[in-house]
Amino acid sequence: MNFDTSTIIYILEILVGGLLVGIGVHFVPVGGAPAAMAQAAGIGTGTVQLAAGSGLTGLLAAGLMMSVTDNLWLILASGAVGAGIMMGSTMLTGSWIYAYAVGAPFASAKVNFDPITGFSQPPYVAPGTVGQGIPTICFVSGLIGGMMGGLGGAMIYYPLYLINGNAALSAMFAIGIFLVNAVIASWNIQGTIEGFHDPKFKKWPFAFKACAIASILLALASVLITGGA
Amino acid sequence: MSLGGAAGGAPSAYDPKKLRMYGLVGSIVGIYLGAILNSALDTNVFSFIGAVAAIFAVVMGANAVRRVCAYGIGTGVPSIGMLALGMGIIAVMFGLSMAETLGSVLLGPIIILVYAGVFGYIIGVIANKVIKFNIPVMEEGNADLSMAGALALLGWSFAISGTLGYVDILNNVLMTGYIAIIFIAGGLAILHPFNANLGPDEKQDRTLVNAVMCSGIAMIATGIAALATQGMAAGLLQLVIGFAIWFYFFKMYYRLVKRDASAVVGTGLLPPTVQ
Repeated sequence: MNFDTSTIIYILEILVGGLLVGIGVHFVPVGGAPAAMAQAAGIGTGTVQLAAGSGLTGLLAAGLMMSVTDNLWLILASGAVGAGIMMGSTMLTGSWIYAYAVGAPFASAKVNFDPITGFSQPPYVAPGTVGQGIPTICFVSGLIGGMMGGLGGAMIYYPLYLINGNAALSAMFAIGIFLVNAVIASWNIQGTIEGFHDPKFKKWPFAFKACAIASILLALASVLITGGA
Repeated sequence: MSLGGAAGGAPSAYDPKKLRMYGLVGSIVGIYLGAILNSALDTNVFSFIGAVAAIFAVVMGANAVRRVCAYGIGTGVPSIGMLALGMGIIAVMFGLSMAETLGSVLLGPIIILVYAGVFGYIIGVIANKVIKFNIPVMEEGNADLSMAGALALLGWSFAISGTLGYVDILNNVLMTGYIAIIFIAGGLAILHPFNANLGPDEKQDRTLVNAVMCSGIAMIATGIAALATQGMAAGLLQLVIGFAIWFYFFKMYYRLVKRDASAVVGTGLLPPTVQ
């Protein structure tokens, strides 16, 4: 392969994609095991599962769009919307279970008033828990996070496909880059976060630095591979 | 500390350095042996050696998961297993592609090993220095995990495709989608053992036997895939050996569970509900 301006642009695109994934994880209301028992606000599963879910949906949506057009903006938008829909429907159906099956009122223990609706939160937080369900602020934050993840996934997939022209290889490589960035970011939030209103969100610069180093190393490897055949 | 080696700061009956040597040497030698036998005798019945070689890598990876996660990483054990496989798949594709570009297929596993080790070590340094984990074995553990993930994926890819050629692996493993199966089966084999056995009574031998058992399941999966890509002989051989490994180690695992449990009692059928 020859190293020219477009190679540098590919590396930059993969870097930005990795950073979007890493920061996007901080927006997703990951509740982990406590949320699965309705003892913490957020979605009741781990970061990697959520990030991988939204990212892979973004990849699929971007790949589908890429089969009909090569317009970068349409592909990115398709990836972001696909992942946003996935995250939104996960939170919506999760909310039904919290509301109608568990019977918990949605409340966040991290803020006194929901910044979007202005509703008071502390009276509804059950004693001994750190909130329940998915309050409005978490839902909005989760949608932003899902869209960032999908945007990042599409942004990684697009240059990879242009480099090697092999959809399966690009997708697996994108999944690899995605997982590395998602796990580093989830280590930064120590497994759980409620969204951008959570005090832990202020730690994002650490994840930014860590994901930047990792993404650059991964991008350098990705521009060197060929599509075979 | 009891006979199997308890966790918690992870004291262990088997030294991690020895396990790492066995894991690396066993899987590299196995993959080369399979590749050379297959190409020298112009056959594909030796593909099963790739899946056997992956067992060595998986045991090394499961031990690394055990060492790192004994400190508590806050995100659950599956995250680190997925990280291992994520780093591994990139190392495998990069190494095989570079070997193809350099013109020697047999260079592949060495490039993969070096890239995976260096990249894993850097991720460990990032985790400790930038994210401030301060887990003493993080660098070492991540390098081990990355190499284990890469070698396990390479071993299984070889078991499915029958050669180490980049184009063959692309066509037989990636384009067919079997990569997804070995990705998850590999994740299962590396992350599941500690995830299933963790706790104050975790014993190293029980965890590692569980890892070998899961590798047997993965070998059954590669056997089914190999039926489609390499034909009856190679596929059935893998299926049978995989099943034998799974069965033998499942019995052994059950014996160890009974050894470590305070009591094993049969509950019989569910009692009728009385209200």
